[in-house]
Amino acid sequence: MTAFSDIIAANGTYLVMYLLAFVLLYLGIVKHFEPLLLIPIAFGVLIANFPGGDMGVYQADEAGRIINAEGKVLAENIWEMSLPQIAHDLGLMNFLYYMLIKTGFLPPVIFMGVGALTDFGPMLRNLRLSIFGAAAQMGIFAVLIIAVASGQFNIKEAASLGIIGGADGPTAIFTTIKLAPHLLAPIAIAAYSYMALVPVIIPLVVKMLCSEKELKINMKEQDKLFPSANKIKNEKVIKIIFPIAVTTIVALLVPSAVSLIGMLMFGNLLKEIGSDTSRLFDTISNSIMNTATVFLGLCVGATMTVQAFLNWTTIGIVVGGFFAFGLSIASGICMVKITNLFSKKKINPLIGATGLSAVPMASRVCNEISTKYDPKNHVLNYCMSSNVSGVIGSAVAAGVLISFLQGMTL
Amino acid sequence: MITNDIYGALQLLVVGMVTVFIVLLIVINLGKLLIWAVNKWAPEETVAKKAAPAAKAIASIDATTKAIIDATISQITGGKGRAEKITKL
Repeated sequence: MTAFSDIIAANGTYLVMYLLAFVLLYLGIVKHFEPLLLIPIAFGVLIANFPGGDMGVYQADEAGRIINAEGKVLAENIWEMSLPQIAHDLGLMNFLYYMLIKTGFLPPVIFMGVGALTDFGPMLRNLRLSIFGAAAQMGIFAVLIIAVASGQFNIKEAASLGIIGGADGPTAIFTTIKLAPHLLAPIAIAAYSYMALVPVIIPLVVKMLCSEKELKINMKEQDKLFPSANKIKNEKVIKIIFPIAVTTIVALLVPSAVSLIGMLMFGNLLKEIGSDTSRLFDTISNSIMNTATVFLGLCVGATMTVQAFLNWTTIGIVVGGFFAFGLSIASGICMVKITNLFSKKKINPLIGATGLSAVPMASRVCNEISTKYDPKNHVLNYCMSSNVSGVIGSAVAAGVLISFLQGMTL
Repeated sequence: MITNDIYGALQLLVVGMVTVFIVLLIVINLGKLLIWAVNKWAPEETVAKKAAPAAKAIASIDATTKAIIDATISQITGGKGRAEKITKL
Protein backbone atom coordinates (compact mmCIF):
# COMPACT_ATOMS: atom_id res chain seq x y z
CA MET A 1 0.00 0.00 0.00
CA THR A 2 1.79 3.14 -1.21
CA ALA A 3 0.59 6.74 -1.05
CA PHE A 4 0.70 7.24 -4.84
CA SER A 5 -2.95 6.42 -5.60
CA ASP A 6 -4.25 8.90 -2.98
CA ILE A 7 -1.85 11.62 -4.11
CA ILE A 8 -2.90 11.22 -7.76
CA ALA A 9 -6.59 11.10 -6.83
CA ALA A 10 -6.29 14.41 -4.97
CA ASN A 11 -5.70 16.37 -8.22
CA GLY A 12 -2.33 17.79 -7.28
CA THR A 13 -3.36 19.37 -3.95
CA TYR A 14 -0.78 17.29 -2.08
CA LEU A 15 1.86 18.41 -4.58
CA VAL A 16 1.10 22.05 -3.68
CA MET A 17 1.76 21.21 -0.02
CA TYR A 18 5.04 19.43 -0.88
CA LEU A 19 6.08 22.45 -2.93
CA LEU A 20 5.27 24.73 0.00
CA ALA A 21 7.31 22.49 2.34
CA PHE A 22 10.26 22.51 -0.06
CA VAL A 23 10.12 26.32 -0.42
CA LEU A 24 10.09 26.73 3.37
CA LEU A 25 12.96 24.23 3.70
CA TYR A 26 14.88 26.15 1.02
CA LEU A 27 14.32 29.47 2.85
CA GLY A 28 15.47 27.94 6.14
CA ILE A 29 18.44 25.90 4.91
CA VAL A 30 19.81 27.94 2.00
CA LYS A 31 18.64 31.49 2.76
CA HIS A 32 19.02 31.10 6.56
CA PHE A 33 15.62 32.76 7.23
CA GLU A 34 14.82 31.80 10.87
CA PRO A 35 16.19 28.23 10.31
CA LEU A 36 15.48 27.15 13.90
CA LEU A 37 11.78 27.63 13.28
CA LEU A 38 11.23 27.34 9.57
CA ILE A 39 12.96 23.96 9.23
CA PRO A 40 10.84 22.13 11.88
CA ILE A 41 7.69 23.82 10.52
CA ALA A 42 8.54 22.90 6.94
CA PHE A 43 9.33 19.31 7.87
CA GLY A 44 6.08 19.14 9.83
CA VAL A 45 4.23 20.28 6.68
CA LEU A 46 5.98 17.61 4.64
CA ILE A 47 5.31 14.65 6.92
CA ALA A 48 1.71 15.72 7.61
CA ASN A 49 0.76 15.47 3.95
CA PHE A 50 1.49 11.86 3.08
CA PRO A 51 -1.85 10.01 2.85
CA GLY A 52 -1.94 7.11 5.27
CA GLY A 53 0.96 8.48 7.34
CA ASP A 54 -1.33 9.66 10.17
CA MET A 55 1.00 12.56 10.93
CA GLY A 56 -1.38 15.41 10.08
CA VAL A 57 -3.16 17.21 12.91
CA TYR A 58 -6.95 17.07 12.91
CA GLN A 59 -8.77 20.15 14.16
CA ALA A 60 -11.73 19.48 16.43
CA ASP A 61 -14.90 21.55 16.06
CA GLU A 62 -16.47 23.45 18.98
CA ALA A 63 -18.06 20.25 20.30
CA GLY A 64 -14.76 18.39 20.12
CA ARG A 65 -15.80 16.26 17.14
CA ILE A 66 -13.17 15.30 14.58
CA ILE A 67 -14.17 14.46 11.02
CA ASN A 68 -11.63 13.54 8.35
CA ALA A 69 -11.61 14.63 4.66
CA GLU A 70 -13.81 11.70 3.65
CA GLY A 71 -16.46 12.70 6.18
CA LYS A 72 -15.71 9.84 8.57
CA VAL A 73 -16.06 10.68 12.28
CA LEU A 74 -12.70 9.90 13.94
CA ALA A 75 -13.61 11.13 17.44
CA GLU A 76 -16.98 12.09 18.92
CA ASN A 77 -15.49 14.31 21.62
CA ILE A 78 -11.74 14.68 21.78
CA TRP A 79 -11.93 16.58 25.11
CA GLU A 80 -13.15 13.40 26.78
CA MET A 81 -10.39 11.25 25.31
CA SER A 82 -7.27 10.40 27.29
CA LEU A 83 -3.87 11.23 25.80
CA PRO A 84 -2.92 7.56 25.20
CA GLN A 85 -6.25 7.11 23.43
CA ILE A 86 -5.55 10.16 21.22
CA ALA A 87 -2.12 8.72 20.40
CA HIS A 88 -3.67 5.33 19.58
CA ASP A 89 -6.66 6.56 17.55
CA LEU A 90 -5.29 9.70 15.87
CA GLY A 91 -1.53 9.19 15.75
CA LEU A 92 1.61 10.58 17.33
CA MET A 93 1.37 14.12 15.98
CA ASN A 94 -2.16 14.62 17.31
CA PHE A 95 -0.98 13.37 20.71
CA LEU A 96 1.80 16.00 20.71
CA TYR A 97 -0.48 18.74 19.37
CA TYR A 98 -3.32 18.23 21.85
CA MET A 99 -0.91 17.81 24.76
CA LEU A 100 1.57 20.63 24.04
CA ILE A 101 -0.09 23.18 21.77
CA LYS A 102 -3.82 22.95 22.33
CA THR A 103 -3.33 23.24 26.07
CA GLY A 104 -1.37 26.48 25.50
CA PHE A 105 1.68 24.93 27.18
CA LEU A 106 4.46 25.63 24.67
CA PRO A 107 4.12 29.38 23.89
CA PRO A 108 4.69 30.46 27.54
CA VAL A 109 7.59 27.98 27.78
CA ILE A 110 9.15 29.58 24.71
CA PHE A 111 8.54 33.02 26.25
CA MET A 112 10.49 31.84 29.29
CA GLY A 113 13.41 30.98 27.01
CA VAL A 114 13.08 34.29 25.17
CA GLY A 115 13.19 36.09 28.52
CA ALA A 116 16.39 34.26 29.41
CA LEU A 117 17.93 35.46 26.17
CA THR A 118 16.70 39.06 26.48
CA ASP A 119 18.73 41.90 27.89
CA PHE A 120 16.61 44.74 29.30
CA GLY A 121 19.75 46.87 29.69
CA PRO A 122 19.30 48.88 26.45
CA MET A 123 15.65 49.49 27.37
CA LEU A 124 16.54 50.70 30.88
CA ARG A 125 19.27 52.98 29.50
CA ASN A 126 16.85 54.51 26.95
CA LEU A 127 13.50 54.36 28.73
CA ARG A 128 12.07 57.27 26.73
CA LEU A 129 12.32 55.25 23.51
CA SER A 130 10.35 52.32 24.94
CA ILE A 131 7.03 54.04 24.24
CA PHE A 132 7.44 53.29 20.53
CA GLY A 133 6.89 49.65 21.43
CA ALA A 134 3.28 50.66 22.16
CA ALA A 135 2.76 52.68 18.96
CA ALA A 136 3.84 49.74 16.82
CA GLN A 137 0.91 47.62 18.07
CA MET A 138 -1.46 49.72 15.96
CA GLY A 139 -1.21 47.24 13.06
CA ILE A 140 -2.84 44.54 15.23
CA PHE A 141 -5.99 46.54 15.86
CA ALA A 142 -6.15 48.21 12.43
CA VAL A 143 -6.12 44.84 10.65
CA LEU A 144 -8.65 43.51 13.17
CA ILE A 145 -11.09 46.19 11.94
CA ILE A 146 -10.24 45.63 8.25
CA ALA A 147 -10.66 41.85 8.60
CA VAL A 148 -14.04 42.20 10.31
CA ALA A 149 -15.18 44.75 7.71
CA SER A 150 -14.23 42.34 4.89
CA GLY A 151 -16.93 39.97 6.16
CA GLN A 152 -14.63 36.98 5.67
CA PHE A 153 -13.66 36.69 9.35
CA ASN A 154 -15.63 36.87 12.59
CA ILE A 155 -14.19 39.07 15.35
CA LYS A 156 -12.29 36.23 17.08
CA GLU A 157 -10.69 35.12 13.80
CA ALA A 158 -9.91 38.75 12.91
CA ALA A 159 -8.18 39.26 16.28
CA SER A 160 -6.04 36.17 15.68
CA LEU A 161 -5.17 37.52 12.23
CA GLY A 162 -4.36 40.98 13.57
CA ILE A 163 -1.97 39.65 16.21
CA ILE A 164 0.42 38.71 13.37
CA GLY A 165 1.19 42.46 13.39
CA GLY A 166 2.79 42.00 16.81
CA ALA A 167 5.59 40.12 15.00
CA ASP A 168 5.84 37.66 17.85
CA GLY A 169 5.39 33.98 16.98
CA PRO A 170 4.57 32.56 20.45
CA THR A 171 2.13 35.44 21.12
CA ALA A 172 0.38 34.84 17.79
CA ILE A 173 0.09 31.11 18.52
CA PHE A 174 -1.09 31.66 22.10
CA THR A 175 -3.79 34.14 21.02
CA THR A 176 -4.96 31.93 18.14
CA ILE A 177 -5.21 28.84 20.37
CA LYS A 178 -7.48 30.82 22.68
CA LEU A 179 -9.61 32.58 20.03
CA ALA A 180 -9.58 30.70 16.72
CA PRO A 181 -7.74 27.37 17.03
CA HIS A 182 -8.92 26.21 13.59
CA LEU A 183 -6.77 28.99 12.05
CA LEU A 184 -3.60 28.07 13.95
CA ALA A 185 -1.75 26.64 10.95
CA PRO A 186 -2.02 29.54 8.49
CA ILE A 187 -1.59 32.16 11.23
CA ALA A 188 1.54 30.52 12.66
CA ILE A 189 3.02 30.10 9.19
CA ALA A 190 2.20 33.72 8.23
CA ALA A 191 3.59 35.07 11.54
CA TYR A 192 6.87 33.15 11.30
CA SER A 193 7.25 33.75 7.57
CA TYR A 194 6.87 37.51 7.95
CA MET A 195 9.24 37.46 10.94
CA ALA A 196 11.73 35.70 8.68
CA LEU A 197 11.10 38.38 6.06
CA VAL A 198 11.83 41.29 8.43
CA PRO A 199 15.02 42.11 6.44
CA VAL A 200 12.79 42.70 3.41
CA ILE A 201 9.66 44.27 4.94
CA ILE A 202 11.27 46.88 7.24
CA PRO A 203 13.50 48.43 4.52
CA LEU A 204 10.46 48.54 2.21
CA VAL A 205 8.30 50.47 4.71
CA VAL A 206 11.22 52.68 5.81
CA LYS A 207 11.94 53.61 2.18
CA MET A 208 8.31 54.59 1.69
CA LEU A 209 8.03 56.73 4.81
CA CYS A 210 11.45 58.16 5.76
CA SER A 211 13.69 60.78 4.16
CA GLU A 212 17.49 60.49 3.98
CA LYS A 213 17.79 63.41 6.41
CA GLU A 214 15.66 61.60 9.01
CA LEU A 215 17.61 58.36 8.63
CA LYS A 216 20.87 60.25 9.22
CA ILE A 217 19.78 61.47 12.68
CA ASN A 218 22.67 60.39 14.90
CA MET A 219 21.38 59.21 18.28
CA LYS A 220 24.76 59.41 20.02
CA GLU A 221 25.17 63.05 18.97
CA GLN A 222 21.65 63.77 20.21
CA ASP A 223 22.58 62.14 23.53
CA LYS A 224 25.63 64.42 23.81
CA LEU A 225 23.54 67.50 23.02
CA PHE A 226 20.72 66.51 25.38
CA PRO A 227 22.13 64.09 28.01
CA SER A 228 19.75 61.70 29.76
CA ALA A 229 18.79 62.45 33.37
CA ASN A 230 18.62 58.72 34.20
CA LYS A 231 22.24 57.63 34.57
CA ILE A 232 22.36 54.11 36.03
CA LYS A 233 24.91 53.55 38.79
CA ASN A 234 24.12 49.92 39.57
CA GLU A 235 22.60 48.17 36.56
CA LYS A 236 22.78 44.67 38.08
CA VAL A 237 20.41 45.53 40.96
CA ILE A 238 17.94 47.28 38.64
CA LYS A 239 17.97 44.38 36.20
CA ILE A 240 17.04 42.00 39.05
CA ILE A 241 14.24 44.16 40.45
CA PHE A 242 12.83 45.13 37.02
CA PRO A 243 11.33 41.74 35.94
CA ILE A 244 9.74 41.25 39.37
CA ALA A 245 8.22 44.75 39.35
CA VAL A 246 6.98 44.55 35.72
CA THR A 247 5.35 41.15 36.31
CA THR A 248 3.54 42.49 39.37
CA ILE A 249 2.30 45.62 37.59
CA VAL A 250 1.19 43.83 34.39
CA ALA A 251 -0.48 41.07 36.42
CA LEU A 252 -2.55 43.66 38.22
CA LEU A 253 -3.51 45.58 35.05
CA VAL A 254 -3.90 42.82 32.42
CA PRO A 255 -4.15 39.43 34.22
CA SER A 256 -4.68 37.54 30.94
CA ALA A 257 -1.18 38.58 29.78
CA VAL A 258 0.52 37.07 32.82
CA SER A 259 1.13 33.67 31.28
CA LEU A 260 3.27 35.35 28.63
CA ILE A 261 4.79 38.33 30.49
CA GLY A 262 5.22 36.34 33.72
CA MET A 263 7.18 33.58 31.98
CA LEU A 264 9.20 36.12 29.98
CA MET A 265 10.21 37.94 33.14
CA PHE A 266 10.84 34.71 35.06
CA GLY A 267 13.33 33.63 32.39
CA ASN A 268 14.95 37.05 32.49
CA LEU A 269 15.17 37.04 36.28
CA LEU A 270 17.03 33.72 36.27
CA LYS A 271 19.49 35.23 33.79
CA GLU A 272 20.05 38.43 35.76
CA ILE A 273 20.53 36.79 39.18
CA GLY A 274 23.73 35.29 37.83
CA SER A 275 25.79 32.45 39.30
CA ASP A 276 23.20 31.39 41.94
CA THR A 277 20.70 30.41 39.22
CA SER A 278 23.10 29.80 36.37
CA ARG A 279 22.12 26.12 36.13
CA LEU A 280 18.43 27.00 35.74
CA PHE A 281 19.28 29.76 33.27
CA ASP A 282 21.38 27.34 31.25
CA THR A 283 18.53 24.79 31.19
CA ILE A 284 15.76 27.16 30.12
CA SER A 285 17.84 29.00 27.54
CA ASN A 286 19.19 25.83 25.95
CA SER A 287 17.56 22.44 26.68
CA ILE A 288 13.99 23.58 27.38
CA MET A 289 13.95 26.33 24.73
CA ASN A 290 15.34 24.02 22.06
CA THR A 291 12.99 21.15 22.94
CA ALA A 292 9.99 23.50 22.94
CA THR A 293 11.03 24.99 19.59
CA VAL A 294 11.37 21.56 17.97
CA PHE A 295 7.92 20.38 19.09
CA LEU A 296 6.23 23.72 18.42
CA GLY A 297 7.64 23.85 14.90
CA LEU A 298 6.76 20.25 14.05
CA CYS A 299 3.24 20.47 15.49
CA VAL A 300 2.47 23.80 13.80
CA GLY A 301 3.76 22.42 10.52
CA ALA A 302 1.66 19.28 10.95
CA THR A 303 -1.52 21.38 11.25
CA MET A 304 -0.98 22.47 7.63
CA THR A 305 -2.79 19.66 5.91
CA VAL A 306 -4.37 19.97 2.47
CA GLN A 307 -7.83 20.32 3.99
CA ALA A 308 -6.80 23.01 6.50
CA PHE A 309 -4.55 25.07 4.28
CA LEU A 310 -5.74 25.25 0.68
CA ASN A 311 -8.68 27.62 0.98
CA TRP A 312 -9.53 31.34 0.63
CA THR A 313 -9.33 31.96 4.37
CA THR A 314 -5.63 31.10 4.28
CA ILE A 315 -5.02 33.50 1.40
CA GLY A 316 -6.89 36.18 3.37
CA ILE A 317 -4.65 35.51 6.38
CA VAL A 318 -1.46 35.73 4.31
CA VAL A 319 -2.54 39.10 2.81
CA GLY A 320 -3.96 40.44 6.10
CA GLY A 321 -0.85 39.37 8.01
CA PHE A 322 1.36 41.33 5.63
CA PHE A 323 -0.77 44.47 6.15
CA ALA A 324 -0.71 43.98 9.93
CA PHE A 325 3.08 43.72 9.85
CA GLY A 326 3.52 46.71 7.54
CA LEU A 327 1.06 48.88 9.49
CA SER A 328 2.82 48.11 12.78
CA ILE A 329 6.17 49.26 11.35
CA ALA A 330 4.54 52.33 9.77
CA SER A 331 2.74 53.38 12.96
CA GLY A 332 5.98 53.15 14.96
CA ILE A 333 7.73 55.38 12.39
CA CYS A 334 4.83 57.87 12.38
CA MET A 335 4.90 58.10 16.18
CA VAL A 336 8.61 59.02 16.04
CA LYS A 337 7.89 61.66 13.39
CA ILE A 338 5.15 63.17 15.56
CA THR A 339 7.46 63.15 18.61
CA ASN A 340 10.19 64.88 16.58
CA LEU A 341 7.76 67.72 15.78
CA PHE A 342 7.52 68.63 19.46
CA SER A 343 10.92 67.62 20.83
CA LYS A 344 14.31 69.31 20.58
CA LYS A 345 16.07 65.96 20.98
CA LYS A 346 15.47 64.31 17.61
CA ILE A 347 14.93 60.56 17.26
CA ASN A 348 15.87 58.43 14.27
CA PRO A 349 12.60 57.01 12.83
CA LEU A 350 14.23 53.58 12.62
CA ILE A 351 13.70 53.34 16.38
CA GLY A 352 9.94 53.48 15.74
CA ALA A 353 10.23 50.80 13.06
CA THR A 354 11.60 48.36 15.64
CA GLY A 355 8.62 48.83 17.95
CA LEU A 356 7.21 45.55 16.70
CA SER A 357 8.76 42.52 18.38
CA ALA A 358 10.96 40.26 16.14
CA VAL A 359 13.85 40.64 18.62
CA PRO A 360 16.69 41.16 17.76
CA MET A 361 16.42 40.81 13.99
CA ALA A 362 14.42 44.04 13.57
CA SER A 363 17.10 46.00 15.47
CA ARG A 364 19.90 44.46 13.43
CA VAL A 365 18.11 45.30 10.17
CA CYS A 366 17.54 48.92 11.27
CA ASN A 367 21.17 49.25 12.31
CA GLU A 368 22.20 48.09 8.84
CA ILE A 369 19.92 50.70 7.26
CA SER A 370 21.30 53.54 9.40
CA THR A 371 24.95 52.61 8.77
CA LYS A 372 24.21 52.51 5.05
CA TYR A 373 23.34 56.22 5.19
CA ASP A 374 26.07 57.09 7.72
CA PRO A 375 28.68 54.40 8.57
CA LYS A 376 29.27 55.96 12.01
CA ASN A 377 25.59 56.03 12.98
CA HIS A 378 25.02 52.82 14.98
CA VAL A 379 21.44 52.74 16.33
CA LEU A 380 21.38 49.09 17.50
CA ASN A 381 21.24 49.83 21.24
CA TYR A 382 18.54 52.45 20.81
CA CYS A 383 16.49 50.17 18.55
CA MET A 384 16.73 47.37 21.13
CA SER A 385 14.91 49.62 23.61
CA SER A 386 11.74 49.88 21.51
CA ASN A 387 12.24 46.33 20.21
CA VAL A 388 12.19 44.79 23.72
CA SER A 389 9.32 47.00 24.86
CA GLY A 390 7.50 45.80 21.73
CA VAL A 391 7.57 42.26 23.16
CA ILE A 392 5.82 43.55 26.28
CA GLY A 393 3.44 45.63 24.13
CA SER A 394 2.38 42.75 21.91
CA ALA A 395 1.86 40.45 24.92
CA VAL A 396 -0.34 43.10 26.54
CA ALA A 397 -2.28 43.57 23.29
CA ALA A 398 -2.78 39.79 23.15
CA GLY A 399 -3.96 39.86 26.77
CA VAL A 400 -6.55 42.54 25.95
CA LEU A 401 -7.84 40.59 22.93
CA ILE A 402 -8.08 37.34 24.89
CA SER A 403 -9.78 38.89 27.91
CA PHE A 404 -12.38 40.65 25.74
CA LEU A 405 -13.09 37.93 23.20
CA GLN A 406 -12.45 34.54 24.79
CA GLY A 407 -15.77 34.27 26.57
CA MET A 408 -17.74 35.83 23.71
CA THR A 409 -20.27 33.61 21.93
CA LEU A 410 -20.72 34.26 18.20
CA MET B 1 -23.88 41.05 12.60
CA ILE B 2 -20.91 42.58 10.72
CA THR B 3 -21.91 46.06 11.99
CA ASN B 4 -21.83 44.73 15.55
CA ASP B 5 -18.45 43.14 14.94
CA ILE B 6 -17.06 46.39 13.46
CA TYR B 7 -18.34 48.27 16.48
CA GLY B 8 -16.68 45.67 18.74
CA ALA B 9 -13.44 45.92 16.74
CA LEU B 10 -13.42 49.72 17.05
CA GLN B 11 -13.95 49.36 20.80
CA LEU B 12 -11.04 46.92 20.94
CA LEU B 13 -8.85 49.37 18.99
CA VAL B 14 -9.46 52.10 21.55
CA VAL B 15 -9.28 49.89 24.66
CA GLY B 16 -6.31 47.88 23.35
CA MET B 17 -4.14 50.81 22.30
CA VAL B 18 -4.95 52.79 25.46
CA THR B 19 -4.10 49.74 27.61
CA VAL B 20 -0.82 49.10 25.77
CA PHE B 21 0.20 52.78 26.10
CA ILE B 22 -0.78 52.90 29.78
CA VAL B 23 1.09 49.68 30.62
CA LEU B 24 4.25 50.79 28.81
CA LEU B 25 4.07 54.28 30.35
CA ILE B 26 3.81 52.62 33.76
CA VAL B 27 6.77 50.34 32.88
CA ILE B 28 8.81 53.39 31.76
CA ASN B 29 8.04 55.34 34.94
CA LEU B 30 8.62 52.24 37.03
CA GLY B 31 12.04 51.96 35.39
CA LYS B 32 12.78 55.61 36.19
CA LEU B 33 11.65 55.10 39.78
CA LEU B 34 13.85 52.01 40.12
CA ILE B 35 16.87 53.85 38.68
CA TRP B 36 16.30 56.73 41.11
CA ALA B 37 15.85 54.41 44.10
CA VAL B 38 18.81 52.17 43.26
CA ASN B 39 21.06 55.17 42.56
CA LYS B 40 20.09 56.55 45.95
CA TRP B 41 20.29 53.46 48.13
CA ALA B 42 22.26 50.70 46.42
CA PRO B 43 26.07 50.86 46.37
CA GLU B 44 27.65 51.79 43.06
CA GLU B 45 28.59 48.83 40.89
CA THR B 46 32.30 48.05 41.02
CA VAL B 47 33.93 46.58 37.96
CA ALA B 48 36.43 43.86 38.93
CA LYS B 49 39.92 44.52 37.59
CA LYS B 50 41.10 41.93 35.14
CA ALA B 51 44.18 39.91 36.08
CA ALA B 52 47.27 41.05 34.17
CA PRO B 53 47.96 38.67 31.31
CA ALA B 54 51.14 36.60 31.32
CA ALA B 55 52.44 38.35 28.23
CA LYS B 56 52.39 41.65 30.12
CA ALA B 57 54.51 40.12 32.90
CA ILE B 58 57.04 39.03 30.34
CA ALA B 59 57.01 42.49 28.75
CA SER B 60 57.92 44.08 32.10
CA ILE B 61 61.30 42.29 32.02
CA ASP B 62 63.85 44.13 29.90
CA ALA B 63 64.54 42.73 26.44
CA THR B 64 68.18 41.67 27.09
CA THR B 65 67.30 39.65 30.22
CA LYS B 66 64.39 38.00 28.37
CA ALA B 67 66.67 37.06 25.44
CA ILE B 68 69.20 35.50 27.85
CA ILE B 69 66.48 33.47 29.65
CA ASP B 70 65.00 32.33 26.31
CA ALA B 71 68.42 31.25 25.04
CA THR B 72 69.16 29.34 28.28
CA ILE B 73 65.83 27.48 28.20
CA SER B 74 66.34 26.69 24.53
CA GLN B 75 69.81 25.26 25.21
CA ILE B 76 68.69 23.15 28.20
CA THR B 77 65.52 21.75 26.50
CA GLY B 78 67.03 21.33 23.05
CA GLY B 79 64.77 24.04 21.55
CA LYS B 80 61.53 22.42 22.81
CA GLY B 81 60.86 24.63 25.84
CA ARG B 82 59.84 28.31 26.05
CA ALA B 83 59.16 30.87 28.78
CA GLU B 84 55.49 31.62 29.35
CA LYS B 85 55.75 33.72 32.49
CA ILE B 86 58.74 35.49 34.05
CA THR B 87 58.35 37.11 37.45
CA LYS B 88 60.88 38.97 39.58
CA LEU B 89 61.36 37.49 43.06
